[in-house]
Amino acid sequence: MKERLFSVLFMFVLALAFTSVVGGVNWVSQERIRLNEETKLQRIVLSVLDLLPAESAGKQEMQLAFQRRIRPLSLGDRTLYVALDQDGTQVLGYAFPISGPGFWGPIYGMIAVDAQVQKILGIAFYRHSETPGLGGRITEAWFRDQFRGKELQVPGPGMRFFYLKPAGTSAAPNELDGITGATETSRRLEAFLDQELKRTIPLLLEQRKLGKI
Amino acid sequence: MAADTAKSLFRKGVWGENPVFRQILGICSALAVTNLMTNTFIMGVSLIFVTAMSNATVSALRRITPGRIRMMVQVLIIASYVMIVDIVLKAYLPEISEALGPYVGLIITNCIIMGRCEGYARNNPVWLSFLDGIASGTGYALVLLVIAFVRELLGFGTVFGHPVMPSWWVPWTIMVMAPAGFFMLGLFIWVAYQFEKPEEKKAPR
Repeated sequence: MKERLFSVLFMFVLALAFTSVVGGVNWVSQERIRLNEETKLQRIVLSVLDLLPAESAGKQEMQLAFQRRIRPLSLGDRTLYVALDQDGTQVLGYAFPISGPGFWGPIYGMIAVDAQVQKILGIAFYRHSETPGLGGRITEAWFRDQFRGKELQVPGPGMRFFYLKPAGTSAAPNELDGITGATETSRRLEAFLDQELKRTIPLLLEQRKLGKI
Repeated sequence: MAADTAKSLFRKGVWGENPVFRQILGICSALAVTNLMTNTFIMGVSLIFVTAMSNATVSALRRITPGRIRMMVQVLIIASYVMIVDIVLKAYLPEISEALGPYVGLIITNCIIMGRCEGYARNNPVWLSFLDGIASGTGYALVLLVIAFVRELLGFGTVFGHPVMPSWWVPWTIMVMAPAGFFMLGLFIWVAYQFEKPEEKKAPR
Protein backbone atom coordinates (compact mmCIF):
# COMPACT_ATOMS: atom_id res chain seq x y z
CA MET A 1 0.00 0.00 0.00
CA LYS A 2 2.67 2.39 1.03
CA GLU A 3 4.67 1.59 -2.09
CA ARG A 4 1.68 2.26 -4.30
CA LEU A 5 1.01 5.58 -2.66
CA PHE A 6 4.63 6.54 -3.17
CA SER A 7 4.43 5.55 -6.85
CA VAL A 8 1.41 7.76 -7.39
CA LEU A 9 2.98 10.63 -5.54
CA PHE A 10 6.29 10.19 -7.35
CA MET A 11 4.63 10.22 -10.74
CA PHE A 12 2.56 13.22 -9.78
CA VAL A 13 5.49 15.27 -8.60
CA LEU A 14 7.61 14.28 -11.58
CA ALA A 15 4.84 15.10 -14.04
CA LEU A 16 4.33 18.44 -12.33
CA ALA A 17 8.04 19.22 -12.48
CA PHE A 18 8.45 18.27 -16.13
CA THR A 19 5.30 19.94 -17.39
CA SER A 20 6.36 23.08 -15.53
CA VAL A 21 9.74 23.04 -17.26
CA VAL A 22 8.20 22.42 -20.69
CA GLY A 23 5.55 25.03 -19.98
CA GLY A 24 8.23 27.46 -18.89
CA VAL A 25 10.30 26.93 -22.04
CA ASN A 26 7.15 27.33 -24.09
CA TRP A 27 6.18 30.51 -22.28
CA VAL A 28 9.61 32.02 -22.72
CA SER A 29 9.70 31.19 -26.44
CA GLN A 30 6.07 31.97 -27.22
CA GLU A 31 6.66 35.53 -28.26
CA ARG A 32 9.57 34.55 -30.47
CA ILE A 33 7.58 31.78 -32.11
CA ARG A 34 4.66 34.13 -32.73
CA LEU A 35 6.98 36.74 -34.22
CA ASN A 36 8.66 34.10 -36.38
CA GLU A 37 5.29 33.02 -37.69
CA GLU A 38 4.21 36.58 -38.30
CA THR A 39 7.43 37.32 -40.15
CA LYS A 40 6.99 34.21 -42.20
CA LEU A 41 3.44 35.16 -43.11
CA GLN A 42 4.49 38.68 -44.06
CA ARG A 43 7.27 37.31 -46.23
CA ILE A 44 4.85 34.95 -47.95
CA VAL A 45 2.33 37.73 -48.59
CA LEU A 46 5.00 39.99 -50.06
CA SER A 47 6.51 37.21 -52.13
CA VAL A 48 3.25 36.09 -53.77
CA LEU A 49 2.51 39.72 -54.59
CA ASP A 50 6.02 40.09 -56.00
CA LEU A 51 6.76 42.93 -53.59
CA LEU A 52 9.56 41.29 -51.64
CA PRO A 53 12.48 43.77 -51.64
CA ALA A 54 14.85 40.89 -52.42
CA GLU A 55 14.85 37.18 -51.75
CA SER A 56 17.63 37.78 -49.26
CA ALA A 57 16.06 40.89 -47.72
CA GLY A 58 16.60 41.26 -44.00
CA LYS A 59 13.78 40.99 -41.53
CA GLN A 60 13.53 44.70 -40.89
CA GLU A 61 13.54 45.69 -44.52
CA MET A 62 10.85 43.13 -45.16
CA GLN A 63 8.69 44.29 -42.25
CA LEU A 64 9.00 47.87 -43.38
CA ALA A 65 7.87 46.93 -46.88
CA PHE A 66 4.95 45.05 -45.41
CA GLN A 67 3.85 48.00 -43.29
CA ARG A 68 4.08 50.43 -46.15
CA ARG A 69 2.59 48.42 -48.95
CA ILE A 70 0.12 45.98 -47.42
CA ARG A 71 -3.24 46.75 -45.88
CA PRO A 72 -4.91 43.77 -44.20
CA LEU A 73 -8.69 43.62 -44.51
CA SER A 74 -11.15 40.86 -43.95
CA LEU A 75 -13.03 39.14 -46.71
CA GLY A 76 -15.68 36.71 -45.58
CA ASP A 77 -13.96 34.40 -43.13
CA ARG A 78 -10.38 35.17 -44.11
CA THR A 79 -7.84 37.95 -44.21
CA LEU A 80 -7.40 39.78 -47.45
CA TYR A 81 -4.08 41.51 -47.95
CA VAL A 82 -4.43 44.51 -50.23
CA ALA A 83 -1.22 45.54 -51.91
CA LEU A 84 -0.71 49.22 -52.65
CA ASP A 85 1.77 51.00 -54.90
CA GLN A 86 4.67 53.13 -53.67
CA ASP A 87 2.45 56.12 -52.81
CA GLY A 88 -0.13 53.99 -51.10
CA THR A 89 -2.98 55.13 -53.34
CA GLN A 90 -3.33 52.62 -56.16
CA VAL A 91 -4.27 49.01 -55.53
CA LEU A 92 -1.78 46.61 -57.13
CA GLY A 93 -3.36 43.34 -56.17
CA TYR A 94 -4.85 41.15 -53.51
CA ALA A 95 -3.47 38.20 -51.59
CA PHE A 96 -5.47 35.76 -49.55
CA PRO A 97 -4.74 32.49 -47.74
CA ILE A 98 -5.89 29.16 -49.12
CA SER A 99 -5.87 25.76 -47.47
CA GLY A 100 -7.17 22.26 -47.91
CA PRO A 101 -6.36 18.59 -47.47
CA GLY A 102 -3.19 17.25 -49.07
CA PHE A 103 -2.10 13.62 -49.15
CA TRP A 104 -0.65 13.37 -45.62
CA GLY A 105 -2.20 16.40 -43.99
CA PRO A 106 -3.53 19.88 -44.58
CA ILE A 107 -1.73 22.22 -46.97
CA TYR A 108 -1.67 25.95 -46.26
CA GLY A 109 -0.84 28.46 -48.91
CA MET A 110 -1.25 32.00 -50.11
CA ILE A 111 -2.35 33.20 -53.51
CA ALA A 112 -2.22 36.66 -55.05
CA VAL A 113 -4.31 38.11 -57.87
CA ASP A 114 -3.95 41.40 -59.71
CA ALA A 115 -6.07 44.50 -59.05
CA GLN A 116 -8.59 43.58 -61.76
CA VAL A 117 -8.87 40.03 -60.39
CA GLN A 118 -8.07 38.73 -63.87
CA LYS A 119 -4.84 36.88 -63.39
CA ILE A 120 -2.74 35.22 -60.76
CA LEU A 121 0.32 37.10 -59.53
CA GLY A 122 1.80 34.30 -57.50
CA ILE A 123 1.17 31.36 -55.23
CA ALA A 124 3.07 29.83 -52.33
CA PHE A 125 2.60 26.98 -49.90
CA TYR A 126 3.97 27.55 -46.47
CA ARG A 127 2.82 24.63 -44.36
CA HIS A 128 2.26 21.05 -45.44
CA SER A 129 3.26 17.51 -44.58
CA GLU A 130 3.67 16.06 -48.07
CA THR A 131 6.48 13.60 -48.82
CA PRO A 132 9.78 15.50 -49.08
CA GLY A 133 11.02 15.38 -52.65
CA LEU A 134 7.67 14.28 -54.07
CA GLY A 135 4.50 16.07 -52.92
CA GLY A 136 6.76 18.40 -50.98
CA ARG A 137 7.87 19.86 -54.30
CA ILE A 138 4.77 22.07 -54.34
CA THR A 139 6.96 24.60 -52.54
CA GLU A 140 9.58 24.63 -55.31
CA ALA A 141 9.88 27.58 -57.64
CA TRP A 142 9.27 25.68 -60.90
CA PHE A 143 5.91 24.52 -59.61
CA ARG A 144 4.81 27.85 -58.15
CA ASP A 145 6.04 29.90 -61.09
CA GLN A 146 3.69 28.09 -63.45
CA PHE A 147 0.82 29.95 -61.81
CA ARG A 148 2.28 33.38 -62.47
CA GLY A 149 0.24 35.33 -64.99
CA LYS A 150 -2.37 32.60 -65.41
CA GLU A 151 -5.73 34.05 -66.44
CA LEU A 152 -8.47 33.75 -63.87
CA GLN A 153 -11.63 32.87 -65.72
CA VAL A 154 -14.60 31.81 -63.71
CA PRO A 155 -15.15 28.29 -65.08
CA GLY A 156 -18.44 26.97 -66.43
CA PRO A 157 -20.55 24.60 -64.35
CA GLY A 158 -18.75 21.36 -63.50
CA MET A 159 -15.45 22.80 -64.57
CA ARG A 160 -12.47 23.89 -62.54
CA PHE A 161 -10.36 27.01 -62.53
CA PHE A 162 -7.20 25.01 -63.10
CA TYR A 163 -6.21 21.46 -63.91
CA LEU A 164 -2.95 19.79 -62.92
CA LYS A 165 -1.92 17.50 -65.77
CA PRO A 166 0.85 14.86 -65.75
CA ALA A 167 4.15 16.71 -65.98
CA GLY A 168 4.93 17.99 -69.44
CA THR A 169 1.46 17.50 -70.88
CA SER A 170 -0.21 20.74 -69.86
CA ALA A 171 -1.26 22.72 -72.92
CA ALA A 172 -4.46 24.72 -72.43
CA PRO A 173 -4.33 28.04 -70.54
CA ASN A 174 -6.12 26.49 -67.58
CA GLU A 175 -3.71 23.54 -67.35
CA LEU A 176 -0.55 23.24 -65.31
CA ASP A 177 2.08 20.56 -64.80
CA GLY A 178 1.44 18.32 -61.84
CA ILE A 179 4.20 16.63 -59.89
CA THR A 180 5.60 13.32 -61.11
CA GLY A 181 5.36 10.69 -58.41
CA ALA A 182 2.92 12.76 -56.38
CA THR A 183 -0.34 12.12 -58.16
CA GLU A 184 -2.37 12.27 -54.97
CA THR A 185 -0.90 15.57 -53.85
CA SER A 186 -1.50 17.04 -57.31
CA ARG A 187 -5.07 15.76 -57.41
CA ARG A 188 -5.97 17.09 -53.97
CA LEU A 189 -4.23 20.39 -54.55
CA GLU A 190 -6.19 20.85 -57.76
CA ALA A 191 -9.44 20.16 -55.88
CA PHE A 192 -8.93 22.46 -52.93
CA LEU A 193 -7.38 25.25 -54.95
CA ASP A 194 -10.49 25.21 -57.09
CA GLN A 195 -12.79 25.21 -54.08
CA GLU A 196 -10.99 28.10 -52.48
CA LEU A 197 -10.95 30.13 -55.67
CA LYS A 198 -14.65 29.50 -56.26
CA ARG A 199 -15.39 30.66 -52.75
CA THR A 200 -13.21 33.73 -52.79
CA ILE A 201 -13.03 35.13 -56.31
CA PRO A 202 -16.76 35.95 -56.68
CA LEU A 203 -16.72 37.53 -53.22
CA LEU A 204 -13.67 39.55 -54.12
CA LEU A 205 -15.22 40.72 -57.39
CA GLU A 206 -18.44 41.71 -55.64
CA GLN A 207 -16.66 43.65 -52.88
CA ARG A 208 -14.57 45.35 -55.50
CA LYS A 209 -17.65 46.42 -57.44
CA LEU A 210 -19.15 47.86 -54.26
CA GLY A 211 -15.98 49.86 -53.87
CA LYS A 212 -15.31 48.44 -50.46
CA ILE A 213 -11.79 47.29 -51.14
CA MET B 1 29.55 -5.45 -15.90
CA ALA B 2 33.07 -4.11 -16.12
CA ALA B 3 33.31 -0.39 -15.68
CA ASP B 4 32.64 1.38 -18.95
CA THR B 5 34.94 4.05 -20.26
CA ALA B 6 34.00 6.76 -22.68
CA LYS B 7 35.95 4.90 -25.36
CA SER B 8 34.25 1.58 -24.84
CA LEU B 9 30.85 3.25 -24.75
CA PHE B 10 31.47 4.92 -28.08
CA ARG B 11 32.87 1.77 -29.64
CA LYS B 12 29.71 -0.05 -28.63
CA GLY B 13 27.28 2.71 -29.50
CA VAL B 14 28.71 3.44 -32.92
CA TRP B 15 29.72 -0.05 -34.03
CA GLY B 16 29.52 -3.07 -31.72
CA GLU B 17 26.00 -2.44 -30.49
CA ASN B 18 24.94 0.13 -33.02
CA PRO B 19 21.24 0.70 -32.43
CA VAL B 20 20.27 0.73 -36.09
CA PHE B 21 22.15 -2.09 -37.79
CA ARG B 22 22.91 -4.30 -34.78
CA GLN B 23 19.82 -3.95 -32.68
CA ILE B 24 17.53 -2.89 -35.55
CA LEU B 25 16.04 -0.17 -33.37
CA GLY B 26 14.71 3.16 -34.48
CA ILE B 27 14.36 2.07 -38.08
CA CYS B 28 10.96 3.75 -38.48
CA SER B 29 12.68 7.11 -38.66
CA ALA B 30 15.64 5.58 -40.49
CA LEU B 31 13.19 5.04 -43.32
CA ALA B 32 11.28 8.30 -42.98
CA VAL B 33 13.94 10.99 -42.74
CA THR B 34 16.75 9.61 -44.87
CA ASN B 35 15.89 11.04 -48.27
CA LEU B 36 17.51 14.41 -47.63
CA MET B 37 20.79 14.77 -45.77
CA THR B 38 19.99 18.11 -44.13
CA ASN B 39 16.86 16.70 -42.51
CA THR B 40 18.74 13.60 -41.48
CA PHE B 41 21.51 15.64 -39.90
CA ILE B 42 19.19 17.78 -37.77
CA MET B 43 17.20 14.70 -36.84
CA GLY B 44 20.41 13.00 -35.74
CA VAL B 45 21.53 15.96 -33.63
CA SER B 46 18.08 16.21 -32.00
CA LEU B 47 18.12 12.51 -31.26
CA ILE B 48 21.60 12.67 -29.74
CA PHE B 49 20.43 15.48 -27.46
CA VAL B 50 17.23 13.72 -26.40
CA THR B 51 18.92 10.35 -25.83
CA ALA B 52 21.75 11.85 -23.80
CA MET B 53 19.50 14.05 -21.66
CA SER B 54 16.87 11.37 -21.10
CA ASN B 55 19.56 8.88 -20.17
CA ALA B 56 21.12 11.31 -17.71
CA THR B 57 17.76 12.13 -16.14
CA VAL B 58 16.62 8.53 -15.88
CA SER B 59 19.97 7.69 -14.33
CA ALA B 60 19.76 10.56 -11.84
CA LEU B 61 16.37 9.34 -10.70
CA ARG B 62 17.25 5.63 -10.83
CA ARG B 63 17.50 5.13 -7.08
CA ILE B 64 14.16 6.65 -6.19
CA THR B 65 12.06 5.61 -9.19
CA PRO B 66 9.66 2.81 -8.19
CA GLY B 67 10.33 -0.19 -10.46
CA ARG B 68 6.77 -0.75 -11.52
CA ILE B 69 6.20 2.74 -12.89
CA ARG B 70 9.63 3.24 -14.43
CA MET B 71 8.32 2.99 -18.00
CA MET B 72 5.82 5.76 -17.37
CA VAL B 73 8.55 7.86 -15.86
CA GLN B 74 10.82 7.27 -18.86
CA VAL B 75 8.12 8.17 -21.34
CA LEU B 76 7.39 11.36 -19.41
CA ILE B 77 11.05 12.34 -19.37
CA ILE B 78 11.59 11.57 -23.06
CA ALA B 79 8.43 13.38 -24.13
CA SER B 80 9.44 16.46 -22.13
CA TYR B 81 12.83 16.68 -23.80
CA VAL B 82 11.37 16.17 -27.24
CA MET B 83 8.87 18.95 -26.65
CA ILE B 84 11.66 21.23 -25.52
CA VAL B 85 13.65 20.44 -28.68
CA ASP B 86 10.56 21.11 -30.77
CA ILE B 87 9.87 24.46 -29.11
CA VAL B 88 13.49 25.58 -29.27
CA LEU B 89 13.74 24.69 -32.96
CA LYS B 90 10.55 26.62 -33.65
CA ALA B 91 11.77 29.67 -31.78
CA TYR B 92 15.39 29.84 -32.86
CA LEU B 93 15.69 27.80 -36.06
CA PRO B 94 12.30 28.25 -37.72
CA GLU B 95 13.51 27.16 -41.18
CA ILE B 96 14.87 23.88 -39.92
CA SER B 97 11.82 23.27 -37.79
CA GLU B 98 9.81 23.83 -40.94
CA ALA B 99 11.82 21.32 -42.93
CA LEU B 100 11.54 18.59 -40.31
CA GLY B 101 7.85 19.13 -39.68
CA PRO B 102 6.32 16.21 -37.83
CA TYR B 103 9.55 14.21 -37.56
CA VAL B 104 10.76 16.04 -34.46
CA GLY B 105 7.67 15.04 -32.52
CA LEU B 106 8.20 11.49 -33.70
CA ILE B 107 11.51 11.29 -31.83
CA ILE B 108 9.35 10.40 -28.82
CA THR B 109 8.48 7.10 -30.42
CA ASN B 110 12.07 6.27 -31.30
CA CYS B 111 12.82 2.97 -29.61
CA ILE B 112 16.51 3.74 -29.24
CA ILE B 113 15.87 6.28 -26.51
CA MET B 114 13.71 4.07 -24.39
CA GLY B 115 15.99 1.14 -25.17
CA ARG B 116 18.98 3.00 -23.76
CA CYS B 117 17.05 4.29 -20.73
CA GLU B 118 15.81 0.81 -19.94
CA GLY B 119 18.95 -1.08 -20.94
CA TYR B 120 21.64 1.20 -19.63
CA ALA B 121 20.71 4.37 -17.77
CA ARG B 122 18.52 2.51 -15.27
CA ASN B 123 21.56 0.76 -13.79
CA ASN B 124 24.44 3.14 -14.40
CA PRO B 125 25.75 6.45 -13.11
CA VAL B 126 24.69 9.76 -14.60
CA TRP B 127 27.86 10.72 -16.48
CA LEU B 128 28.29 7.32 -18.13
CA SER B 129 24.61 7.23 -19.04
CA PHE B 130 24.93 10.64 -20.61
CA LEU B 131 27.92 9.45 -22.69
CA ASP B 132 26.09 6.27 -23.60
CA GLY B 133 23.22 8.39 -24.90
CA ILE B 134 25.58 10.44 -27.03
CA ALA B 135 27.29 7.30 -28.32
CA SER B 136 24.07 5.55 -29.28
CA GLY B 137 22.67 8.72 -30.81
CA THR B 138 25.86 9.14 -32.82
CA GLY B 139 25.63 5.55 -34.00
CA TYR B 140 22.11 6.22 -35.17
CA ALA B 141 22.97 9.52 -36.82
CA LEU B 142 25.97 8.11 -38.70
CA VAL B 143 24.09 5.15 -40.14
CA LEU B 144 21.25 7.43 -41.20
CA LEU B 145 23.63 9.88 -42.80
CA VAL B 146 25.25 7.10 -44.86
CA ILE B 147 21.84 5.90 -46.00
CA ALA B 148 20.69 9.46 -46.68
CA PHE B 149 23.87 10.15 -48.65
CA VAL B 150 23.13 7.33 -51.09
CA ARG B 151 19.41 8.09 -51.27
CA GLU B 152 19.87 11.80 -51.84
CA LEU B 153 22.70 11.28 -54.32
CA LEU B 154 20.77 8.82 -56.46
CA GLY B 155 17.31 10.23 -55.81
CA PHE B 156 18.03 13.93 -56.33
CA GLY B 157 21.60 14.04 -57.61
CA THR B 158 22.56 16.30 -54.70
CA VAL B 159 24.51 16.15 -51.43
CA PHE B 160 23.24 18.38 -48.61
CA GLY B 161 21.23 20.14 -51.31
CA HIS B 162 24.22 20.91 -53.55
CA PRO B 163 23.95 19.43 -57.02
CA VAL B 164 26.88 17.07 -57.64
CA MET B 165 25.68 14.74 -60.37
CA PRO B 166 26.29 15.61 -64.03
CA SER B 167 23.40 17.21 -65.88
CA TRP B 168 22.50 14.04 -67.81
CA TRP B 169 21.81 12.26 -64.54
CA VAL B 170 18.24 10.95 -64.28
CA PRO B 171 17.19 10.87 -60.61
CA TRP B 172 15.93 7.52 -59.34
CA THR B 173 12.51 8.36 -57.96
CA ILE B 174 12.40 5.06 -56.08
CA MET B 175 15.29 6.27 -53.91
CA VAL B 176 13.17 9.12 -52.58
CA MET B 177 10.34 6.85 -51.57
CA ALA B 178 10.10 4.72 -48.44
CA PRO B 179 10.92 1.32 -50.04
CA ALA B 180 14.42 2.58 -50.88
CA GLY B 181 14.92 3.09 -47.15
CA PHE B 182 14.38 -0.64 -46.66
CA PHE B 183 16.70 -1.56 -49.52
CA MET B 184 19.44 0.70 -48.25
CA LEU B 185 19.11 -0.44 -44.67
CA GLY B 186 19.27 -4.08 -45.77
CA LEU B 187 22.32 -3.44 -47.91
CA PHE B 188 23.93 -1.49 -45.11
CA ILE B 189 23.50 -4.33 -42.63
CA TRP B 190 24.91 -6.80 -45.14
CA VAL B 191 27.96 -4.67 -45.86
CA ALA B 192 28.48 -3.94 -42.16
CA TYR B 193 28.55 -7.65 -41.35
CA GLN B 194 31.09 -8.26 -44.10
CA PHE B 195 33.46 -5.89 -42.34
CA GLU B 196 33.26 -7.83 -39.13
CA LYS B 197 36.33 -9.62 -37.85
CA PRO B 198 36.24 -13.33 -38.75
CA GLU B 199 36.36 -14.52 -35.12
CA GLU B 200 33.38 -12.37 -34.26
CA LYS B 201 31.52 -13.77 -37.22
CA LYS B 202 31.86 -17.33 -35.98
CA ALA B 203 30.46 -16.48 -32.59
CA PRO B 204 26.83 -17.54 -32.31
CA ARG B 205 24.41 -14.69 -31.96
